[in-house]
Amino acid sequence: MTLLQLDNVTKRFGGLVAVDHVSLEIDAGQFVGIVGPNGSGKTTLFNLISGVFFPEEGRIYFEGADITRMPPYKRAPLGIGRTFQIPRPFSSATVRENIAVGAMFGTLGKKLTVDDSMDVADQLIEKLDLTAHREKAAGTLTPVEKKLMEIGRALAMKPKLLLMDEAMAGMHPSDIDQMVAFTRQIAEEENISIVAMVEHIMRAVIGMAEKVIVLHQGAKLVDAPTQEALKDPKVVEVYLGGSGGR
Amino acid sequence: MKNQVTKYYPMLPVLAAYAALFLIGRNMSGMWQLVAMLLFYCALGQAFNIFLGMTGYVDFGYVAFMGVGTYGMALAISRLAHIEGLGAGIIVIGFVLAVLMSTMLSIAVGAVALRLRGAYFAIATIGVNEGFRFLIEGARIWNGSEGIIFTAQLNQILGREAASALATFWADLFVLIIAVAAALVTLIYMRSKIGYALTALREDEDAAKVMGINVTKFKIIAFITSASFAGLVGASSWALKTPYVFPPEVFEIHYTIEAIIIVLLGGAGTLLGPLVGGLIYGISKYYLSIFIPGFQLLIFAPIIIVIIVVFPEGVVGMLKAKTRNTAAGRFIV
Repeated sequence: MTLLQLDNVTKRFGGLVAVDHVSLEIDAGQFVGIVGPNGSGKTTLFNLISGVFFPEEGRIYFEGADITRMPPYKRAPLGIGRTFQIPRPFSSATVRENIAVGAMFGTLGKKLTVDDSMDVADQLIEKLDLTAHREKAAGTLTPVEKKLMEIGRALAMKPKLLLMDEAMAGMHPSDIDQMVAFTRQIAEEENISIVAMVEHIMRAVIGMAEKVIVLHQGAKLVDAPTQEALKDPKVVEVYLGGSGGR
Repeated sequence: MKNQVTKYYPMLPVLAAYAALFLIGRNMSGMWQLVAMLLFYCALGQAFNIFLGMTGYVDFGYVAFMGVGTYGMALAISRLAHIEGLGAGIIVIGFVLAVLMSTMLSIAVGAVALRLRGAYFAIATIGVNEGFRFLIEGARIWNGSEGIIFTAQLNQILGREAASALATFWADLFVLIIAVAAALVTLIYMRSKIGYALTALREDEDAAKVMGINVTKFKIIAFITSASFAGLVGASSWALKTPYVFPPEVFEIHYTIEAIIIVLLGGAGTLLGPLVGGLIYGISKYYLSIFIPGFQLLIFAPIIIVIIVVFPEGVVGMLKAKTRNTAAGRFIV
């Protein structure tokens, strides 16, 4: 079943076309890797899906409903959660409160009370192994802990789609891979689709992905099952430079 | 159930402090005037904190809400004085009108300005205050620049003695009650979803949005709440204490600046902060002007700079961080 569908979406910043007529489909429960070098439009694509920006052209559908111009705070409860490239915790609030906010506002249907949200947070804190940091102000965490907390915050929203902006933000790649593997495990348990953003094609994350979408200068270059995508000559060209017989 | 009660423990130090202020003012001769001033600053800080402290947005036009609140009380008393049998009820009507008018102004301002972010919001609000003052003066609304003097009406309704007691005691007591009420609302907000939404949007508005928080809605809630308390402070501290109102006096940006200093000094977004900030600010201002009249600002400015540099989170903000996860921490929020 198609969870998310982008239909010919374009976003421009002045003269720069950040996302150029991109169409794609993400199925429920699917793990997708979005690959592309710096400036290829990955983050803009995430911002379009989560509603930070609206596209100039094209439509975005979530579970068949048109959400192209829906404000972000309405999309989140539908089941679109995300983490940020550089973690953006609510610094003065505790880890527990940060995660509880996700449960409080980001879930669909009957809204949880403050106390119930705290219970949800406590369960996730245990799962994420953050118990020692529960009452710490989020601003005092290390980057890895912040990233974990952000994942917890997003999972508290009971998302159907989780956008993971997992580019290197001062983190060791192996830490990221471990985290993604862990998140994938939870995602499989709860049938969450994950779209993970990756800068380098060789990363272990790609190995876990069922499908890879390669972006290049805002446009979709390849959209194929992982093994096929890795062998695609266009991908090789973008990543290793033109072959040209040299 | 126990949990529900312990949540409100932080009200205890607040209540104790206001009770102490009241007792000092009543029982030590010559202290009521100082206490009245301190109550005014604490109430001002307590009210402004709900917006400035909890959202992190700076409203340079805040005094306008106190101004229209003052007008609300003045209009009630001056226009309704001829109705027989209202008695002290006219004060109640005045307070209701003050809240209505400041709320209405805050909805009008908030609906437009709160769509702007950070510094743009601050700049937009500077104009509100001056604009509203010139509108009243220029369009001759509510007597324009001549203002409203309602001493005679107040004496006529309440009698000379009661009117005098109103100005020298009851008005200040009302300010105390308003300050406590504002503190209680602050705590209720902090303990509810509103508080969590405000913290989230203060720390990172974009992250708050993608987590499902309708940031504009929560900013407007904080703005209206804060403005209506400002209207009440104006109505009692200005209109009832001095039964007249002139536009240049009640739309004086100076008070906004004082309110900002109080909130930052004490600790923005904390419950006790405005109280501590109001006391530090009021006491220093009072004694500096007695001991070194004329130079008080010269001394005062460096003191404020030092406090802000040493305690960037404000005095209570620092205490709160120090007492986190201790027994005392349950009372300091």
